[in-house]
Amino acid sequence: MRRIPRGMAVAVGAGLLLAACSSGTTDTTTGGATSPATETATESATPSESATDAAPVRGNEDLVIWTDDTHLAAMQAVADTYAAANGITVGVQAVTDTRAAFITANQAGNGPDVLVGAHDWIGQLVQNGAIDPLQLPADQVAKYSPTAIKAVTYDSQLYGLPYGVESLALFCNKSVVGDTTFATLDDAIAAGQKAVDAGTVESALNLPVGENGDAYHMEPLFTSAGGYLFGKDADGNYNPNDLGLDSPGGLAAAKKIGELGEKGQNVLRTSISSDNNISLFADGKAACMISGPWALNDVRKGLGNDGYTLQPIPGFKGMNPAQPFMGAQAFYVASKGKNKSFAQDFIINGVNNVDAMTTLYEKANLPPAMTAVRDSIQQDNPDFAVIAQAAEKADPMPAIPAMAEVWQPLGVAYADIVAGKDPEQSMKDAATAIRTAIAGS
Amino acid sequence: MSTSARPSVAAPTSTPTRAPVGGPPLRRDPNDVRPHGARWWREIGWRHVVGVVAIVYALVPVLYVLSASFNPIGSVSSTSLIPTDFSFTHYESLFTNPNRPYARWYLNTILVAAVVVTAQVFFSAMAAYAFSRFRFRGRRGGLLTLLLIQMFPQFLAVVALFQLFSEVGKVVPALGLDTLLGYIVLLMGGSLGQVWLIKGFFDSVPKELDEAAKIDGAGHAQVYFQIILPLVRPILAVTGLLAFVSVIGEFLLASIFLRQTAVKTLAVGMYTVLDGDRSNNLGWFAAAAVLASIPVVALFQYLQKYIVGGITAGAVKG
Amino acid sequence: MSHTTQTHPPARTARPARGGGTTRPLPLLVKVLGLGIVAALAVLVTPPLIAQQRWGFLGVFWGVVALLAAVYATKRAVPAKYLVPGVLFLSLLVVYPILMTFQLSTTNYGDGTRTPKEVTISRIIASAAFQGDNARRFTLEVGTTGTVDTGPYTFFLVDQASGDAYAGTEDGLEPLPTDATVTDGRVTDVPGYTMLTKQQINRLSQSGGPLAGFTVPTGESSVITAQGFQAVELTSPLVYDQATDSFTDTRTGDVYTPQRVGDRSYFTDANGARLSSQSWGESIGLDNYKRIFTDATISKNFLGIFAWTVLFAVASVGLSFLLGLVLAVTLNDARMRGQKLYRSILLLPYAIPGFISLMVWSSFYNTDFGLFNELLGTHVNWLGSTALARIAVILTNLWMGFPYMFLVCTGALQAVPSELKEAASIDGASGFTQFRKVTFPLVLVAVAPLLVASFAFNFNNFNAIQLLTEGGPFSASDPTAGGTDILISFTYRLAFGTSAQQIGFASAISVILFILTGVLAAIQFRGTRVLEDVN
Repeated sequence: MRRIPRGMAVAVGAGLLLAACSSGTTDTTTGGATSPATETATESATPSESATDAAPVRGNEDLVIWTDDTHLAAMQAVADTYAAANGITVGVQAVTDTRAAFITANQAGNGPDVLVGAHDWIGQLVQNGAIDPLQLPADQVAKYSPTAIKAVTYDSQLYGLPYGVESLALFCNKSVVGDTTFATLDDAIAAGQKAVDAGTVESALNLPVGENGDAYHMEPLFTSAGGYLFGKDADGNYNPNDLGLDSPGGLAAAKKIGELGEKGQNVLRTSISSDNNISLFADGKAACMISGPWALNDVRKGLGNDGYTLQPIPGFKGMNPAQPFMGAQAFYVASKGKNKSFAQDFIINGVNNVDAMTTLYEKANLPPAMTAVRDSIQQDNPDFAVIAQAAEKADPMPAIPAMAEVWQPLGVAYADIVAGKDPEQSMKDAATAIRTAIAGS
Repeated sequence: MSTSARPSVAAPTSTPTRAPVGGPPLRRDPNDVRPHGARWWREIGWRHVVGVVAIVYALVPVLYVLSASFNPIGSVSSTSLIPTDFSFTHYESLFTNPNRPYARWYLNTILVAAVVVTAQVFFSAMAAYAFSRFRFRGRRGGLLTLLLIQMFPQFLAVVALFQLFSEVGKVVPALGLDTLLGYIVLLMGGSLGQVWLIKGFFDSVPKELDEAAKIDGAGHAQVYFQIILPLVRPILAVTGLLAFVSVIGEFLLASIFLRQTAVKTLAVGMYTVLDGDRSNNLGWFAAAAVLASIPVVALFQYLQKYIVGGITAGAVKG
Repeated sequence: MSHTTQTHPPARTARPARGGGTTRPLPLLVKVLGLGIVAALAVLVTPPLIAQQRWGFLGVFWGVVALLAAVYATKRAVPAKYLVPGVLFLSLLVVYPILMTFQLSTTNYGDGTRTPKEVTISRIIASAAFQGDNARRFTLEVGTTGTVDTGPYTFFLVDQASGDAYAGTEDGLEPLPTDATVTDGRVTDVPGYTMLTKQQINRLSQSGGPLAGFTVPTGESSVITAQGFQAVELTSPLVYDQATDSFTDTRTGDVYTPQRVGDRSYFTDANGARLSSQSWGESIGLDNYKRIFTDATISKNFLGIFAWTVLFAVASVGLSFLLGLVLAVTLNDARMRGQKLYRSILLLPYAIPGFISLMVWSSFYNTDFGLFNELLGTHVNWLGSTALARIAVILTNLWMGFPYMFLVCTGALQAVPSELKEAASIDGASGFTQFRKVTFPLVLVAVAPLLVASFAFNFNNFNAIQLLTEGGPFSASDPTAGGTDILISFTYRLAFGTSAQQIGFASAISVILFILTGVLAAIQFRGTRVLEDVN
């Protein structure tokens, strides 16, 4: 979810169309004529279950899990444990453009049984009837961070079991700005700017913008300066008809971002994008950086385990607190998986416990969503505690379909504002474009 | 098939023509007389200048990739053209991470490429022969249709292809999704991809050759396998290389067809990693790309002698 | 250059019998084997195909066999013998998908419309079911008095809260038979019943299996249903009425009927609130095509983008051909030292997978950290303005494309007989004149079709744009059309860049682009007179 603009690009590049793949004709055939085939195939496979682990042929495993490359090792670990405990075989696959590929394959009846991915996929997955709601008792739901549960709840149904949370935080290079916790973002920028002026670093505060903007990373600045994306209705659900970009607060925030841009203080720049944001900071070329837990490995490698500070993003001086988006990584039950019983049991029993959640936390390098695990790592991993704390206070990234209309126009507006165009006009243009798009869908 | 026919044919073909009988008086054996001084500059030297400039243009990004592959930090911003730090970490990591079985992907790729390239060159050459040598109804239309069909942007048809193969897989599992065989068959759709290029070359082989052979009683198959094919080796080599490169770089179709780690090809395997995390893997990618380019370069080295040496030794010279 | 000296074909190891090579043992063997294998394969797949009633596949398989037999077992239709294999693959794997794409373009297929209406209705009902306030949860075992595969089945349930045990069938809940054994909160043995293993439960619960959709009714609108190897009591608030084609929410009394929005319908209540974001697939005729020609966003930007697309394709092909040709000619001198090395190095851009090259190139253009500004000592935002970004795109595409042209030209140059060149030299033609008058026309004839194909490829070179600039730079006033957008990247963002992926619409765009490309290619054919050459 952190890679929204790029992620979309790659999706367009590769998967996209591919998400298409099965029209009504397939459906009718899978419904009727194919069932004998599936039956016979499974029957012949069943007796030799223990022998199947030798040659993995797609679909022969008793449980197939799809994830992306970064979470593969973690999924493999918990899946292996579950497989051993239940005497079944599992296959974990890293799939390119996971979400689109999943929708396609599930529809065609050859998708996985369990999907692992970000919570903001849920809107599209539900729209396509691709995942089933999870029926967990309330006492088990209570074991997870309320924000994470809010994130995986859609249309009042729980659709995913969260295992990790993500949120943006402020990283600073200790050797550049010292071991400080900044009370305001202005302080951090000022400290960074001093280092830039002294020639120590090239950037005071890294925040990915790129040529096409990055609305995800800009959100904490936007909210702190008074803007909001969607208002909420009485139940706390996002209201797609209340777009806050061109509200007075939104316009003021746009102006504030413009002041930080290339024609202003030159803190925010289009030359910093998701491609080089982390690496510049890890190489010591930036004083501070706004990024998430996924950056930790690189930052530690580059600056050393003790070379950086991490804190929730502070707000601008005298303005609102900064509100980044919170994201949850979760497990979903595929609606047309071959092994639904194992899929449901895997999620309800296999990963819904402290042991599995601890393994996931260790291997996926994500702050845990289960509160017991989160509390147990408070001491060992203060970084994750910081991010989990930031995530707890943040708002889940909207999973409503209208959100998809926001990223591109808002990103472009941010890029324009950072490059020095009129902030108010750019923001109004984006708001108009987004309203038109939402009305048309 | 063509290879087995070649040795018996190649020898008699080349002997009479290779002997420099009665060449024009000005003709020199290029190996003997190399120009010197100003004349060298005028005839050869400038070629080196152009060559070097072109090499710089071609190499800069390649060097960058090479440098990134040796740079242990491996990020976009820390990489320069000349490596500042040197290590084999990324190369080692290619072969040590069980979740990214690079060696396996490599083998898969070579296997797929070998089969598909052979088939593509073989089928293309056959069709090109028909288009070049026979006159039949629908020939002109067929040629143009072929060209037109190949203009359909490949990835647009992916929807239908996915559907087709997921159905095929239910009947013949060995040909379904997530099988190398299925993927190979899928790429066979490009079997006629090289027809135009090869046909152009066939057209330059004088028809008198096959006519003479036919008078001597050779059948069309003999003419094709024993006379024409050996003569067009250069273009077969070129098309083989082109097909090889396109198979190795293919990731659009592969990314939906090959989803299991064990059956992935290099391109889709690497693309999966890229897709998972863009900023953190540059060094890994660079190393992967460097190794992935080796088969192409090696194949080119091997084919160079056919590409350049082929037809001048053949009968076209008359 | 006369061929009169060559009176005999060079290749003639053995004098073959008249009437063609087909009577010789080796080709015959190859034919028999080949046909045999194909026929054997067809025979092999026939029983499962019949069992699954896949008549289409069956027809295709045997059609192919019949075709191959007709072509290769007889001596007629000689050209077909050379064309059939390639054409078969082409028809099945290229032409058929194109036809399918056309078929798809007449539907509203896409996000929210992937399923037929009846599936959507059942999905809506299923995903609305919820655990009521007093919902019970049970441990679950499944037993049968019949066979494992056919049932009838009984759910043996133990309430996790109260410990009460039940036997549930599709008729409802009953008390557990008294002779049953309950261990650790699970029913482990019931006399007269075969208990199913987890694997069996899993298999029988698969779509279409006898346990799929097995529920135990417990009240007016509540059922017990399996969740993994547990069971849970769910309440379904929605009732669908086929006659009025409407949903009623039994909790609120709200009625939802299908309301049309654009190319699809949603179940919507009187206030315009949608019951679900799921719609369903329908055939919509040529509406997608109408939309392409009437959509304001498209028509407003079309001409500018079209012009740039043509320019991009022409420049990409023209420049890379020019560079490739110049390099091929330059290096095509056997007297040159290091010729092989030059050629090998020039091939390198081609050997690196394209998406990696594009990623690297896009980093070169970075204003503050990119290689170009570093080398040139400038501070230019290459991808920030339309003009520069276009130059950058072409420069990159040139780098990606010239090795191909270099290779093809090098190959084609070998077909230019050196005598021709020498003759020209003797006539006193300078190097360039000789190139212009002799070499160039010959090479052009050989590669012209490839240039046209290459134009077509670049006309739709989605990746080159998407991976380098994503179509940008954009302006906030019109975030839909970017400065380097070509038609395909622009229209695909319209179809995919937003919440709902519109596959049907995208397919229509594909068809239109296909036609457009074909027309442009035909015009170029006329221009290069290749059409005439085909005769």
